[in-house]
Amino acid sequence: MRRLRGLLLGLSGLVLCTGVSGCATTPPTPEALATNDPYEQTNRDTLKLNGKIDKYFVVPTVAVYFVLVPEGGRRGVHNFLGNLSLPTIFVNDMLQGELSRAGKTMWRLVINSTLGLGGFFDPASKIGISGHGEDFGQTLAVWGVKEGPYLVLPFFGPSNPRDAAGLAVDTAIDPTNQIAFKQHIWWAAGREYFTLLDLKGQTYQTIQGIQRSSVDYYSSLRSLYRQLRNDQVRNGHKQAQDLPDF
Amino acid sequence: MRLLISPTRRAVLAFATLLATPLLMANPAAAAQNAAESFVDENIHKGLDILRDKKLSTVQRRDQFETLLLGLVDVRRIALFTLGQYRRTAPPDDVEAFVGAFKNYAAAAYQSYFAKYTDQTLKVTGSTQRAPTDFIVQTQLIDPTSNQEPAEVDFRVRTDTGKPVLVDVAYQGIWLSLEERDQFVAFLGQNNGNVRTLIAHLSELAVNLGKPTQ
Repeated sequence: MRRLRGLLLGLSGLVLCTGVSGCATTPPTPEALATNDPYEQTNRDTLKLNGKIDKYFVVPTVAVYFVLVPEGGRRGVHNFLGNLSLPTIFVNDMLQGELSRAGKTMWRLVINSTLGLGGFFDPASKIGISGHGEDFGQTLAVWGVKEGPYLVLPFFGPSNPRDAAGLAVDTAIDPTNQIAFKQHIWWAAGREYFTLLDLKGQTYQTIQGIQRSSVDYYSSLRSLYRQLRNDQVRNGHKQAQDLPDF
Repeated sequence: MRLLISPTRRAVLAFATLLATPLLMANPAAAAQNAAESFVDENIHKGLDILRDKKLSTVQRRDQFETLLLGLVDVRRIALFTLGQYRRTAPPDDVEAFVGAFKNYAAAAYQSYFAKYTDQTLKVTGSTQRAPTDFIVQTQLIDPTSNQEPAEVDFRVRTDTGKPVLVDVAYQGIWLSLEERDQFVAFLGQNNGNVRTLIAHLSELAVNLGKPTQ
């Protein structure tokens, strides 16, 4: 898993660095600088590349997944993958000093791993212990690290230097990456593949809706990503005073 | 007439009024906040009821929803906000034409957004007063068929014109008007600030959004 995701991150970095250095002679527009998106043209090109990957590889695969695996099975896969992420979420809860949320995460791990038969079922939610997401990008944000310029990574999509670094750290601390057993690369590849199928299956219609209603899909996605990440960093707490005046 | 209310009861009533008056005088903000919550509760339910009314034809549903929406939402204020800095530099005629195009686009876009949630129920959970005439009403969209956590949907209500109007909606922390402003400003930046190009694009989108999805 570490090798595979590390390879993908490295490839993304290579493509990005090549693109960025290629664009070094093209100065960013004033609008790009104002929106903290100095690599806008490279990002737009990468988004188009990701769209092609989605269209010719990911979407057809998701369609097959939906045909072959019934809704109950897909729900089981989703729960299992979510359960695998709980140790990383727990670590980030603790690093952010969110002890109550860390406690919930721990209970979810224990209950869903045992009563939930290895995580395929989610009895923890049924008894009121709901899940939440955390990652090292959010931890860095809580520690005061600014997000940096907007980036679109090949394969991974919208990001920024802080979140990309966070993803690398989460990959390194994921305990399933510490397990050495036979066929490890297939385990890692299988997990990544099903994570992709699960994510795309859940977000496909939403993405289609955004594309259909957007004047400029790229900047729409950029705005949505930034707002969503800020909401995640705040753990959903509202900051009404930060809103602009109408 | 005086004897119809006994002196004791009159004294109790007077005392109660004396107690209540400072509360009433101190809580016009609370009254306004409750009015914002009631406004959202009542009208969003009306909108969802229209969208899930199977007795209506597609055209009737669209028209009724649009009429309700345009009565609730301050479309002009939102349209001007989404132009960002281009509001000051664009010719006034272009700005007015944009407000018209935005109205059609918003009606089509909001209908397509809300149509996804017709099977869900909306529950007002509270509100925050951002300014004397600016409220954020918090709600939850609950899917009775799913174990998933309710989605948090916030509505921004302004009352500075005398009657409450909606100016923005947020789904899970993402504000729609902010997202619209970001993309319109980016689009205008790529098209030399030409609002007429944006108007043409919005008009085309409004037509496409009105078509059934495949």
